[in-house]
Amino acid sequence: MSKSYRLWGRRSQFATLKSALLKRDVRPAPESSVAALHNVTFSVDRGESFGIVGRNGSGKSTLLKLVSGILKPTSGSIAVNGRIAALIELGAGFHPEISGRENIYINGIMLGLSRREIDSRFNKIVDFAGIGEFLDQPVKTYSSGMYVRLGFAVAVHVDPDILLIDEVLSVGDEEFSQKCIAKIQEMKYRGVTLLFVTHQLDQVRKLCDRALWLDHGEAAGLGDPVRVVDEYLQLVSVSAPGAAIPQVHHPEPPTAAVGIEEPEEVEASDLLEEERWGSGEAILRRVSLVDADGRELVALGAGVGVTVEMDVEVRAPQADFVFGIGFYHADGSCVYGTNTDIEGLQSDSLAGGGKVRFAMPSLDLVAGSYRIDAAIHTRNGRAFDYRRGVIRFVVGSRVNDIGVYRPRHDWSFEGGIHFKPIDNLSRNVPAPMAEYIKESEANQPPEASNKRRRKREER
Amino acid sequence: MDELRTLYRYRQLIAALTSRDLKARYRGSVLGFFWSLANPLMLLTVYTLVFTRFFPRHDISLYPLFLFAGILPWSFFSAAVLESTNAISGNAGLIKKVMFPAEALPIVVVLSHLVHFVLALPVLLVAMAWFALRHEFIFTPAIFLTPVLMLFQTVFVAGVALIVSSACVLFRDLRDLVANMMQLAFFLTPIIYSMTAVDSQWMRALLHLNPMTPFVLAYQDIFYFGHMPGTWNAGLIVVYTLVSSVLGFGVFERLRDTLAEAI
Repeated sequence: MSKSYRLWGRRSQFATLKSALLKRDVRPAPESSVAALHNVTFSVDRGESFGIVGRNGSGKSTLLKLVSGILKPTSGSIAVNGRIAALIELGAGFHPEISGRENIYINGIMLGLSRREIDSRFNKIVDFAGIGEFLDQPVKTYSSGMYVRLGFAVAVHVDPDILLIDEVLSVGDEEFSQKCIAKIQEMKYRGVTLLFVTHQLDQVRKLCDRALWLDHGEAAGLGDPVRVVDEYLQLVSVSAPGAAIPQVHHPEPPTAAVGIEEPEEVEASDLLEEERWGSGEAILRRVSLVDADGRELVALGAGVGVTVEMDVEVRAPQADFVFGIGFYHADGSCVYGTNTDIEGLQSDSLAGGGKVRFAMPSLDLVAGSYRIDAAIHTRNGRAFDYRRGVIRFVVGSRVNDIGVYRPRHDWSFEGGIHFKPIDNLSRNVPAPMAEYIKESEANQPPEASNKRRRKREER
Repeated sequence: MDELRTLYRYRQLIAALTSRDLKARYRGSVLGFFWSLANPLMLLTVYTLVFTRFFPRHDISLYPLFLFAGILPWSFFSAAVLESTNAISGNAGLIKKVMFPAEALPIVVVLSHLVHFVLALPVLLVAMAWFALRHEFIFTPAIFLTPVLMLFQTVFVAGVALIVSSACVLFRDLRDLVANMMQLAFFLTPIIYSMTAVDSQWMRALLHLNPMTPFVLAYQDIFYFGHMPGTWNAGLIVVYTLVSSVLGFGVFERLRDTLAEAI
């Protein structure tokens, strides 16, 4: 869809009054309009979190306003299923002269609740906003923080199917923004579709399933939030020193500019292949997962000591650099992530090549497939080389315990609690299976089992 | 029809906003609501003084009552229309930042002024009762027509308010134009003089082109003369109400999409 704004100058306004009277037409003439969004096409699935990034004036807010129905597209169409709550400006409908209590009702009704629905949520809203004894004071006496908290509290208690958030998480104090993010995460788990615009790129990386990068009203990138944010950062860092229009070439052609995208395809390939991006001043030439003897691993047992090795090649010496490692489960959830910056290592110099080792005495993971992301980037997150899914490995286990983390543990019992004695074989194996193994070992002649062992060695 | 359905859907919102409007307006003022009576009462005093002391008129007996019957509906009309010039442009925050039915705003303005009108009626009734006690005025059943007449006037005023509020966003000059036209229209409505005093045929036709004329005449019929409005007059009221509401919703619908950008 596209959106053009007419330019409001003195002359064009005069022209519209005249044309309105003469032609009975108040639509903007093409020469007096500016395109805020140009041929942007995307779809967001139910329950997805979708971030929108871009510089000021790139059309992010316009996009949200179009989705919310405040503005109408100049061409193209927008289809929305479900109740929308738009946090475009918190407390936008508040009247300063009347009390917080009355404003909650009016704001709630504006957002589509009925009086009865507000009654039932009233206490939750007041609690969340934390305005306490100020509830019956006129809103004009509120601090700006209270004002915003109340606005947010009402909006999120509307129970929308779709929540649009425009740069509102950056207001309020640290405690409140934590609370907001927690609330948004909760809504995400409940299946609320989130669309949000923010300049806090961390939030996009953390909260979003996909992201859209808008540049001058056009979609410059769409897909994995970490990748999109990074492409955006690359561009910003390139164009920052020179104030002119960026002349950088995109790592890949914008996928969403024209036509309809198939998000499923992107996601499917995402899982299988390594994705790699970055500006390339320093690269991770080889990343491998090795055991104590330096052998490369693709499958390992639980609790094995492993090391991630990265061969670093430097093309341009750097002073500001961070190495990062992330472990992900096959379902996409992050198991663990860290980097040298988080752990307080201050970069000094990076020149020539080198090797980075990230050693773990024991990788205590539950059986499953995992992938590792490795990256070298600047402290503000601009990647020199980001290798998503550079290593894929499988953890095997004879125990069907669940989760991702498998702490070292031991059961012990005292008093009148007794289990049958166990030997080494049946440890870590569910009881029925242990019995079966024991039986088959006992029934088989020793040669057969020897043969079997030999076969295994030949392989 | 769709527009009416929208209004019905947002009835709670409109009711809440109207009560907010009224509450917010008088919060913190000592005399509160009586300020809304101040303007008609002042007009009443000034014109009564002028036309009973300085230029005494003899064609209208009980001049204050006659004046009051015309001034109240006029104040409703003029205050609502004047305020609606700012109803949308003054609420830019709502229109730009919230998914909000813009038509609710002028409607809320009209309704809150209707409340003022209704609250002023007891004062008129007291005046009528006072003249009735002195046997200068007789109450008649015509007075029961008041709610019907007010309903028609409200719809009529709403239509005008819809046009004015949306058009003022696009054409800012309209606000001053409306304010000045309102002064002129006051004298083009038989409020301070009676229709019978107008002897020119053309002048009468011109006055009837002013849509407020039949309304004011009907109020005078009810509150001053104590008889039913004439059929010709009633017909005009229906026609003006229909034209105003159809035009009002039509214009608003046409301008709606440009409001959020132009504001």
